[in-house]
Amino acid sequence: MSDTIIRVENLSKKYQLRHAQAEGYTALRDFISDRARRLKSNFLSLSNRQPPTKEAFWALRDVSFEVNQGERIGVVARNGAGKSTLLKILSRITEPTTGFAEIKGRVASLLGVGTGFHPELPGRENIFLNGVILGMSRTEIHRKFDEIVAFPEVEKFLDTPVKRYSSGMYVRLAFAVAAHLEPEVLIVDEVLSVGDAAFQKKCLGKMSSISGEGRTVLFVSHNIAAVNALCSKSLLLSQGSILQIGATSTVTERYIFPSLRK
Amino acid sequence: MATSKHYLRIEAGRTDAQYWQDIWRYRELFYFLAWRDILVRYKQTFIGIACALIRPFLTMVVFTIVFGRIAKLPSDGNAPYPILVFAAMLPWQFFASALSECSNSLIINANLISKVYFPRLVVPTSAVIVSYVDFLIFGLSLLSLMAWFNFLPSWRILTLPIFTLIAFAAAMGAGLWLAALNVKYRDFRYIVPFAVQFGLYISPVGFSSNVVPEKWRLLYSLNPMVGVIDGVRWVILGDGTEFYWLGFGVSTALVCSLLLSGINYFRSIERVFADVI
Repeated sequence: MSDTIIRVENLSKKYQLRHAQAEGYTALRDFISDRARRLKSNFLSLSNRQPPTKEAFWALRDVSFEVNQGERIGVVARNGAGKSTLLKILSRITEPTTGFAEIKGRVASLLGVGTGFHPELPGRENIFLNGVILGMSRTEIHRKFDEIVAFPEVEKFLDTPVKRYSSGMYVRLAFAVAAHLEPEVLIVDEVLSVGDAAFQKKCLGKMSSISGEGRTVLFVSHNIAAVNALCSKSLLLSQGSILQIGATSTVTERYIFPSLRK
Repeated sequence: MATSKHYLRIEAGRTDAQYWQDIWRYRELFYFLAWRDILVRYKQTFIGIACALIRPFLTMVVFTIVFGRIAKLPSDGNAPYPILVFAAMLPWQFFASALSECSNSLIINANLISKVYFPRLVVPTSAVIVSYVDFLIFGLSLLSLMAWFNFLPSWRILTLPIFTLIAFAAAMGAGLWLAALNVKYRDFRYIVPFAVQFGLYISPVGFSSNVVPEKWRLLYSLNPMVGVIDGVRWVILGDGTEFYWLGFGVSTALVCSLLLSGINYFRSIERVFADVI
């Protein structure tokens, strides 16, 4: 019996790049002035002006892989190779352009630390808020509240607004909420970098125990030591495609020494 | 393969199929977002509540002086002019604040939208709830103003929720349009305060819509808030006000189509929010 929990097939994601645009977002005035300019050039039949060049950019291209239940998969790649896009698609934040992915089970993704934390609210309220955002139910949070609070060792500051937390405390609290989710699939994107060594170790331990309970972890990191320690299998992305899937040690070796190709 | 109860297939255009189920599944997120915003808003309780009261109160005073005393416009029936204005301020204030909260909600929660999946419709809807709390506080102050003038409402006050619902729908409809457009074209946020300010004067807030000449009355009803404000006045001022049913029908129909088209438009560009926000 196969217990494939994630199946990704020919997943691709295309973005449009517009080169003539300096701003990150469109403003209505640009839209209007663009139209007006086009109208004018049509009218005067001046076709020498080039419209803003559009270019298709494939952030992901034909990615296929399978993950079995209870596996811990590391994803390593250089910046811009498509890691975040892959995770965003798997956590349904954005849609793929072609291809599909099938996931059996609940997915919880930790793409940014403390997503939805409100700086004005104290730790206690943020635990509830963050938990609900990540997909826990209120009763579930109540049940695990003590555990969540004990994990990052911030009991004393539960009624302090999180804007007064140090960045380490902030990250620890955020991770604690996420680690007590009980999803079948946990997606973690480079979130451990702020905690100190002891806490990072604690987190890795927590993630190993999570997968010991039969849950699947998808772990993205630039911290090769952490990937080596946590994951048995890894995949290496490069320019939107999978370069290699296999045992973590060989994959990370290729990531660190890309020139050593066989 | 679909034996697990949480089976998920991710594919282009796939979100549509399970959308309304998802909204139900994420109802707790809805409570918590609304709860967060209310908590933050009333955190410094005094300022929060005072703000909800003082602004409309001052507007009421100014309108009473300008329209009631200086321009000497007639009131509806025998209602005191301040109550006439305040009864209209109640739905108007709700509409205006709901509209601006709603249209900004996606931008404010941008980090949430680019990091977590949930039906995006949750965000603008919960933003409107915060304005609803203001509305309740405001309603209480209206009651005390009526007590001050010894002005008793009739049985019609029981129909107030219907009109509140229409105001809610109007704010949601316009708010969804603006929220979605705001993500696409960022300078829409400059249009919203202007529209709200403008709307205050073209809606019958400072004056009774009975002063509008009969032949323009139907045209005037094309403003969706006209039906709501007239309705609330009819509810609160009681006898001596006649109800303009035709105009109310037109307004309500417009509100409904605004809401439906708003939801439709929002849904159609919702899937690219995370990419453009």
